[in-house]
Amino acid sequence: MTDVLHEAPPDHPEHESTGVDNRKLGMWLFLSSEFLFFGALISNYLLYSNRPGFAGIYPSEIYDIPFTSVSSFVLLMSSLTMVLAHNALTRGDMNGTRTWLFATAALGSVFLGGQVFEFTEFIVNSNMKLTTNPAASAFYVLTGFHGTHVALGVIMLLSLWGISRRPGGLSEKHGMNLELVGLYWHFVDIIWIVIFTVVYLLSVPPA
Amino acid sequence: MTTEHHHPTPAQYWKIAVLLGVLTAIEVALYYVNLSYDLGSLNAVLLIVLATLKFVIVVAFYMHLRYEKATLSKFFTGGFVLAASLYTVVLAALGVLVIRGS
Repeated sequence: MTDVLHEAPPDHPEHESTGVDNRKLGMWLFLSSEFLFFGALISNYLLYSNRPGFAGIYPSEIYDIPFTSVSSFVLLMSSLTMVLAHNALTRGDMNGTRTWLFATAALGSVFLGGQVFEFTEFIVNSNMKLTTNPAASAFYVLTGFHGTHVALGVIMLLSLWGISRRPGGLSEKHGMNLELVGLYWHFVDIIWIVIFTVVYLLSVPPA
Repeated sequence: MTTEHHHPTPAQYWKIAVLLGVLTAIEVALYYVNLSYDLGSLNAVLLIVLATLKFVIVVAFYMHLRYEKATLSKFFTGGFVLAASLYTVVLAALGVLVIRGS
C-alpha cells in the first residue's frame, strides 16, 4: 500500500469544507469565545460597581474621563494603522507594512502607558487598591485583563515587525499571519469600545 | 489573504477612522451634557447606540466581516449573542439590569 501525502501547494491557503482557511476560522472562533470571557468580567463589574455599603472609594468617583477619552481615541486609531498595514501587505508594499505595523505597536504601547498611569494615580493618589472593595477589584481585574490582551497584541505586532525585516520574512504569501494578528487587535479594540461606554461613561457612584 | 473581495481603499479606511473619532467625541460630549442636564435614561440609550455603532463599524470594515463568508459571521455573531444572552439573564436575575442614567 502506498502512502500518499497530500500537501497544499505553498502559495495556496489550506481550506476545509467550510471554504474558509482553517487558521482564520480558528481565530474567529477564539475571538467569539472571548466574548464569554470579557462578558463575565463586565458583568462582575456591573454587579459591584455601584452597590452601596462598601468601605473605601468607588472607581466611578475618580474616573478621569478626558484622559480615558484620549486613551480610547489612541486605541481606536491603532485599528486604523493595523488595517493600513494589512492593506499595504496586500499591495506588496513592504515598507508601508512595516511602518504601519510599528505605528500600531506604538499606539498600543501609548494606550498601555496610559493605563499604567491611571492605575498608579488610583492607587497612589486615591488610595484605591485591588483589595479596597469589590468594586475596585472588579474594575482592576476587568481593565487589567484587557490591558494584558493589549500587551500580548503589542508583543505579536513587534514580532511581526521583526519578522518583516528579514528578507522574505513577511511576504504577501505569508500574509495570513498579519491578518490573524490584525483580527486579534481589532477585537481588543471593540472590547474597549464596550468597556469605555459601560465602565467609564455609564457608571455612577452609589447614591 | 482575502484580496479577492473588494475591501475598502486606504482613503476609505481613513474616512471610517474619522467617523469613529467623531462618534467617540459625541459620546464624551454626551457624558458632559448629561452631567449638566441629567438626560435620564436617554443618556444610557444614546451611549449604548453610539457604542454599538462603533462596534459594528470596526467589525464590518476593519475586521472585514462584511466581506467574509457567512460561516465566519455566524460563528462570531453566535458567540456574541450567546454571551450577551447569558449575561443579560444573569444580571437581570441578580437585579443589576437597570438603566444607569435614570
